[in-house]
Amino acid sequence: MTRKSGFRTYDPLRARLLLLCGLLVVSIVAMSLLSPYFLQASTVPYLLQYVPILGLLGLGQTLVILAGGPGIDLSVGSIMSLVGVAVGALFAAGIDIWTACAIGVAAGAGLGLVNGLLVNVLRIPSLMATLATMFAFGGLALATTMGQPVGGFPPEFAWLGQGHTLGLPNAFLFVLLPVAVVLHVMLTGTTIGRHIIAAGNDDRAAHLSGLNVVRIRIGLYVLSGVLSALGSIIAMSWFLAARPDAGKGMELLAVTIAVLGGTHIFGGTGGIPGTIVAILVVTTLQIGLQLANISAAWQLGLIGLLLIASVSSVAGWRMPKRGKI
Amino acid sequence: MTSAADPRPALRMVSATASREVALVIAILTVGAVFAIASPYFLTTNNLVQTLRAGLELAIVAAGMTLVIIMGGIDVSVGGILAVSAIVIGKAYQAGLPAYAVAPLGLLAGTALGTFNGFVTTKLKVPPIIATLGSMYVFSAIMFLVIGGAWISGLPSTLSPMVNGWIGFVPASALVIAVVYLGAWIVLSKLPFGNHIYAIGCNEQSARLVGINVDRTKILTYAFLGFLAGLAALLYVARLRNVEINIGTTIALEAIAATILGGTNIRGGVGSLLGTLLGVVFIRIMQNGLVLTGVSSLWETVIIGSLLVVVLTADSLRNRNNPRAQ
Repeated sequence: MTRKSGFRTYDPLRARLLLLCGLLVVSIVAMSLLSPYFLQASTVPYLLQYVPILGLLGLGQTLVILAGGPGIDLSVGSIMSLVGVAVGALFAAGIDIWTACAIGVAAGAGLGLVNGLLVNVLRIPSLMATLATMFAFGGLALATTMGQPVGGFPPEFAWLGQGHTLGLPNAFLFVLLPVAVVLHVMLTGTTIGRHIIAAGNDDRAAHLSGLNVVRIRIGLYVLSGVLSALGSIIAMSWFLAARPDAGKGMELLAVTIAVLGGTHIFGGTGGIPGTIVAILVVTTLQIGLQLANISAAWQLGLIGLLLIASVSSVAGWRMPKRGKI
Repeated sequence: MTSAADPRPALRMVSATASREVALVIAILTVGAVFAIASPYFLTTNNLVQTLRAGLELAIVAAGMTLVIIMGGIDVSVGGILAVSAIVIGKAYQAGLPAYAVAPLGLLAGTALGTFNGFVTTKLKVPPIIATLGSMYVFSAIMFLVIGGAWISGLPSTLSPMVNGWIGFVPASALVIAVVYLGAWIVLSKLPFGNHIYAIGCNEQSARLVGINVDRTKILTYAFLGFLAGLAALLYVARLRNVEINIGTTIALEAIAATILGGTNIRGGVGSLLGTLLGVVFIRIMQNGLVLTGVSSLWETVIIGSLLVVVLTADSLRNRNNPRAQ
C-alpha cells in the first residue's frame, strides 16, 4: 500500500518513473545514433557489468535519504575502499577469501553503525558527520596500504565479478537484483517500510505515534554500510585486487542516482524502482559516450546537469519541505 | 529591517566561538612545539614562509566558505570554480594578454560561477549540497573539455610578487591573507549585509519576514565565495605558473574542514573568520610537520577526518541542552 494509493490523481513517484523511462529510451536512441557499437546484444551484459556496484551504493543512499533527518551518507565510497583493504589484509593473513568477505560485510556494518551513531545519537548533521568519516575511512584505506593495491586473490573468486549466468553478469543476477527486490518489498509491503517513509515524512509525528525514529535511521546507515561492503566485494572480484581508492567519487554518484531516481533530498518520498532506472540512465550515458569515444568530461557534465535539473523547482512536482542540508 | 541591522546578535556570535579560537591557538602551539622538537627544519623562516605560501589558496577560499556556511549554505564546487578560473587565466595569458587584463578576467570567471551556484540554490530552489554537487560535475566537465589531459605550463611570472614578494619584513602572501580576511570581516561584522547573512543562517523564514532580501543576499554570498576562488586561482597561477588537471580537487573539503574546526556551526547562524584562519593554520602546520617528520602524507586525510569527528562530537555534546543546535 503506497501512501497515495487511495487517490488516483497524481503520484509524483510514478510520474518520475515514467520520466526516467522516457529518459532511458531517449538516451538509448541517442547513444545508438552516436555509436554503431552501442546497439548490439553484447552491449547489454557489458552495460550491466557496471551497474551492480553503483546500484548497491545508490540503493543504500536511497534508503538513508528516504528516512529523512535530513540524512545523507557521503562515506559510502570510503567504506567501499576501506572494506576492500581490510578483506585484502585478511586474505594476505591466510584467511579463506569468502570468510574474509563475510568479515568485510560485518566491518561495513560496523562503519555504517559509526555513521548512524554520529548522526542520530550525537545529532551531528549527516552532511558533516559523513564528510568527516569519508575523510577518515578513505584516508585510512590509503594510509595503511601506502596507496598500493592489495592483490593476489584466487581466480575462482572472479566468479562473482566476472562470471556470467544466462548471459547476465553474476553480480547483477545474484546480488543486485535480489537486493533490489527485497528492499522494494520491504519498502512497499512491510511495516518497516511504512515506518521508514513515516519517519522521512515527519519525524515528530512518527515519534509521537510510537516509532523509534532514531533506531530506524541508525539501522539504515548500517544497511548502507553493508551494501557498500557488498559493492566492494564485487569490485574486488571484478579486478581480483583491492584498490585503496576503489570507492573514490562513488559517494557523489550514489547521491546523484538516488536523487535523480526521485528520492526527495529531505526524505519521505522515494523508492527503489526509480533508483534502479536512474542507474540504467546514468550507466547508459556513460557507456554510450565511452563507446562513441566522447571524452569523460561530457559524462560528468551531463550527470551534473541532470542532477540539478531533476531537483530544481522547474521539475514541477516537488512540494516545499522544511529542513536544510 | 532595524532588528536585522542591530549589531548585538553579531557580537554574541563572536563570543560563542571565542573558546574555540583559544583552543585552536593552544593546539597550534602544542603541535608546533612537537614538530619543532622533532625536526630542526620546522622552525626556520624559510619553512614557515613556504608553509604560508602553500596555505594561501586554502585560507582565501575558507574565508568565503565561512560566510556561506554561516548563511546556512555549503559549496562543494569551489575546487571546480578555482580550476575553471585558473584555466581562464592560463588561456588569457597564452592569448598574450597582459597581467592587468588577465587578473580581472580570472576574478570575473570565479564570480560568475559563484553567481551561478547562488542562482541554482535560490531561483531553482535546489538544496545547496545538491546544487553545488551538480555544478562541481559541470565545472570539472568544462575544465576537462578546455584543457583535456594537458597542463598549461610556462606561464609568465608577472603576478608572482603577490605570492613570493616581500614588503619590508612582511611576506606579500601574509598581506594578501590579511587584506582578504579584513575585507571579509568588514562584510560580515560591519555591514548590514553581514547581519543578513547571520539572520538567514539563524532562521531563513524569519529573515524573510523582517524584510531581508534572502535570495539576493544568498546569491551575493555565493558570488563572493566565487570571487575569492577566482582570487585563489590567480594566486595559484602566480605561485606555480602552470595549470594542471588535478587543481583544486581537495580544496572544497579542506575549506569546509577548516571552517568547522574554527567553530562555525554547520547549521548556520554562528561562526568566526578568526577561527577559520586558525583552522587553516592548524591544517597546514599539520601537513607540513608530517612531511618534515617523515610520516607519510597519506595520513593527513585520516587526521583531518578524525579531528573533525572529535570536534563535531565535542560540539554536539556541549550543545546538548541548546535547543537551537537541535
